Amino acid sequence: MTVTDRDPLAHEDPRRLAEFEARIAAGEKIEPGDWMPSEYRRQLIRMISQHAHSEWVGMLPEGAWITAAPSLRRKLILIAKVQDEAGHGQYLYHAAETLGATREEMVDALLEGRAKYSSVFNYPTLTWADVGMIGWLVDGAAIKNQVMLAGCSYGPYSRAMVRICAEETFHHKQGQEMVRRYAAGSPAQRRMAQDALDRWWWPAMMMLGPHDSDSPNTPLLKRWGVKVKTNDEVRQEFLDEHAPELLEAGLSIPDPELRFDEATGHWVHGPIDWDEFWRVVKGDGPMNAERLAARRQAHEEGRWVREAMAAHAARAASATGAVPA
Amino acid sequence: MSEPTTLGSELTRALLERLTALGDDELVLGHRDSEWTGHAPILEEDIAIANVAQDEIGHAVLWYGLVEQLGGPDPDRLAFFRDADEYRNAALVDRPRGDWAFTMARQFLFDAYEAELLPRLERSSYAPVADAAAKVRREELFHLRHSALWLERLAHGTDESRRRLTAALDELLPLLPGLLAPLPGDAALAAAGVYPEAAELADAVLARVGAALEAAGLARPTLEPPADAAGADRRQRPDGVLAALLAEMQSVARSDPQAEGW
Amino acid sequence: MSHAADTQWPRWEVLKQDAEGKPHQAVGSVHAADAEHALLMARTVFARRPSAVSMWVAPAASVRSFTAQELAEREAPTERAPAAGAPERYLVVRKASHRRSMAFGELVGEVEGANVDEALAAALARLAGEPVLALWLVEARAVVRSDPAEADPWFGPARDKTYKQQSVYSSRATARQDAAKGVPR
Repeated sequence: MTVTDRDPLAHEDPRRLAEFEARIAAGEKIEPGDWMPSEYRRQLIRMISQHAHSEWVGMLPEGAWITAAPSLRRKLILIAKVQDEAGHGQYLYHAAETLGATREEMVDALLEGRAKYSSVFNYPTLTWADVGMIGWLVDGAAIKNQVMLAGCSYGPYSRAMVRICAEETFHHKQGQEMVRRYAAGSPAQRRMAQDALDRWWWPAMMMLGPHDSDSPNTPLLKRWGVKVKTNDEVRQEFLDEHAPELLEAGLSIPDPELRFDEATGHWVHGPIDWDEFWRVVKGDGPMNAERLAARRQAHEEGRWVREAMAAHAARAASATGAVPA
Repeated sequence: MSEPTTLGSELTRALLERLTALGDDELVLGHRDSEWTGHAPILEEDIAIANVAQDEIGHAVLWYGLVEQLGGPDPDRLAFFRDADEYRNAALVDRPRGDWAFTMARQFLFDAYEAELLPRLERSSYAPVADAAAKVRREELFHLRHSALWLERLAHGTDESRRRLTAALDELLPLLPGLLAPLPGDAALAAAGVYPEAAELADAVLARVGAALEAAGLARPTLEPPADAAGADRRQRPDGVLAALLAEMQSVARSDPQAEGW
Repeated sequence: MSHAADTQWPRWEVLKQDAEGKPHQAVGSVHAADAEHALLMARTVFARRPSAVSMWVAPAASVRSFTAQELAEREAPTERAPAAGAPERYLVVRKASHRRSMAFGELVGEVEGANVDEALAAALARLAGEPVLALWLVEARAVVRSDPAEADPWFGPARDKTYKQQSVYSSRATARQDAAKGVPR
């Protein structure tokens, strides 16, 4: 099977490759230490570290509203939610570390602009209602993806996803609760909710990735049980769940071609502006520079802190004659 | 559980002031801590400081809840619809976030204060205060362990960490007496066994802080217990720092008079 | 952009016990500067929600990992190192199933051995006939444990943070009622 012009498997031992693929076909999980094709390792490090970066960068758009959350409960919820995103990044970096990547390398790749992260976090959060809309739409879309990845063939990635899914439902629900309340609230709250939907609908649809025809990695990743569904399949699940709920909340979805197809039982959306998607992925989104600048600033301002702790640990270890961890 | 003390109107007024001050200290400190969320030196500590922030704000909800029980406004009203001159927090907690050394040093001073305050509050003759204190104290044990660990590590880390920690303490320690100063009604509360006696509490906190700084190899500060009238400290906001914090914190809540809730 | 080498601090594996009577499970890792710090960070990262009564950490370097495939392909040690001094104790963590899980595996006991090979042989002998998909040996003396006497303040407060639990969020119907009544919480 040729999946790209240059077969990334050409150099692999055919017997080992066949054993590996048989294990995946049998539903076994691959664990660190097991034999795996170098392309499997490479693709996983790419996917998992991008996913980790997305969580870490994804703290910023919503985090910006923590200090203005309009009730004590909303403030607590938002801190807990953004904190969970740090936690999810932490779990994912751990999963990538089991493949031999170090967190130092991954952080460096992000800060130097060599790594990608989800395009959706390069849009600005302009009003408080954006926090709710991100929870409902962006986390709603993320959950669809994460539920799929919880079944992935690589043990550590699957485990991180199972843990993340268990926590992420709260993110979705608190967003839903907010937006529904504002959609039924004061005139200003209703306007705020609709405006947020107008701006976040398409970024959320896009964040599930390019059409299958433009997603060169998908066939191999499906064959190896890393992705269990295609981008379009996951996007369809998201659409079928969210379109009727948003309409029921009294909001209008900014897609004139959106309709329910009685024959298939599925919702059908209009064309996605993929030019915008690729522009944002490649670094030209409205907030790319700001997001990376914020990450770099925190990293640089934290450097002396990390160094002080390391110095303290080294001194304590040499004092006791212990070997530092 | 002892029968709740029946509070006369004077004691109720005094307790409302005190509970509001307790809540304000927790809320403002939690707010400052929450400013780190997404910006801390490493992922694990980002999660840790967000935890501390949630805990402190959760404690504010507890203290404000007791205000509401005594006939005062509800917690959101207290947090979002009072101006700076109506807040009763100590200046220690509203100073801008600063660097990690400043945040950890401030947290340590506050945690040391609570480590002495809360066991005393658990013996309050007013049962709701005693119950709330028990809940808060459970979380504070971990806070103190965390901030004390940082104090010790930064003191013995690098030259830079020691310099930054020393600078933070130079700014913060003079504000500690303001946190310990009694409010005008505290003496009456102490006489009724509702709230600890201010001077004894202050001595215990200063002794604890001094011992910890000395153990970390830092100069033991000469700290004077607060003068009796220093409670007025909590109302003086000459520099507008708190007003700026509140302007941001309250901006959405106050943006829409027609909104019935958020 | 060029800068000095960064440190994200060493990695520590985390073992968490969800309830009394259940085994500790390997749930992930934390980056921390030293053992005491690692334990605090483990609580921070893995006990944000109420499902813990005990937590242990061990430096990643103190953990030896063997998958079933590695065990099958492992050559028998040709020469056993002489058992010098006291034998080392190791915690044994086993992965027993391919079912979806948050944890890699769970603690099945402790073994002794003068070296890793001996300890591994002892662990495999103990687990003979049982599924072993992967195995960890963790140097017991490198493990730092939370204090059982402090279990409540360490792990109890998460129970009160109900706003993190999806079950507290209103259904569609009650959300509409709340909105109509202006209920703020």
